[in-house]
Amino acid sequence: MVVLDALNYIKANLDGSLTYRWSCRMGVCGSCGANVDGTPKLTCASFLHEFKGRTINVEPLPNFPVIKDLVVNMEDFMRKLVKIKPWIIREKETPPEQGEYQQSAEELERYQQFSSCINCMLCYSACPIYGLNEKFLGPAATALAYRYIEDSRDQGKNVRFPIVHEMEGVWECTLVGECSVVCPKGVDPMLAIQKTKILGATNALRSILMPRGGR
Amino acid sequence: MTEKTFPELRRKLTSGWWTSNRHYVQYMVREWTSLFVALFSLVYIYGLSLLATGSRSAFLNLLKSPAMIAFSFIALIFTLYHAVTWFYLLGQVVPVKIGKTTSKPWQALVANLVLLIIVSYLVIWLLVLR
Repeated sequence: MVVLDALNYIKANLDGSLTYRWSCRMGVCGSCGANVDGTPKLTCASFLHEFKGRTINVEPLPNFPVIKDLVVNMEDFMRKLVKIKPWIIREKETPPEQGEYQQSAEELERYQQFSSCINCMLCYSACPIYGLNEKFLGPAATALAYRYIEDSRDQGKNVRFPIVHEMEGVWECTLVGECSVVCPKGVDPMLAIQKTKILGATNALRSILMPRGGR
Repeated sequence: MTEKTFPELRRKLTSGWWTSNRHYVQYMVREWTSLFVALFSLVYIYGLSLLATGSRSAFLNLLKSPAMIAFSFIALIFTLYHAVTWFYLLGQVVPVKIGKTTSKPWQALVANLVLLIIVSYLVIWLLVLR
């Protein structure tokens, strides 16, 4: 039994008006996140035996506006996801007949973990920076941006860099690191944000030292 | 039928947010210890300015005063905490890859601490022991 089963039991037997999101029941869809006993978790992955003999609070995800019960408004996050342009950008598209853009296993490894994000928003709930300033681009969106920046097939660095390095981009992060602790898919958004900072800083330095486009 | 809209509630972080979880407390302590690093630097720069203007005895008296010794001791502990946490984070953020093995954060911590001791010894050797 998991917390989601308990919520379903409550809805079926005790209070039919209880409202919450869920779909897959197996930690893939990312829709059942809630603050379980004070920590952002997927309710389908929080086993009740962990809380045996105790009363626990299940609350809506912190840092998001509440619509009803456990349902929060995720508009802000959705806007940020689109903002970082989560697709492969090419300087010049080649027609499909010319074959796929190839990639080695090592090149895949560079970004693979960051592509496992399921958009459950637990990291945003765990991030006090986002709690204080909702304009902050935040963990998941930056991890996704970094996923494309590190993708060998992508050529959109110049498009994405201004987005992730603007005032409320990666530099807002002060390395609390809780985003990576709560991630249910083993993604390390904290790492992605710091790597993006490093890339941005070296890029800026390079443009000062080699203004004529050193690569 | 028109849709009925409800006012949405975005809960604000309270000033005690960081007490809710062990990691937040560790983060807060790490950030606050930097204050002692800065304070110690300021006091030390003041001491060096005394030395530079020729008042060697004033500098030594400053160093010998119990308050300064107590402060240095506290600053040392906090600076060490600050250094250890940041060295560990450094290992998390920029792991070194040799062949197929990637370094662990604690290895970066140990390597940096050893490096710190070597550099400190070199500076002491250059300035005092030589």
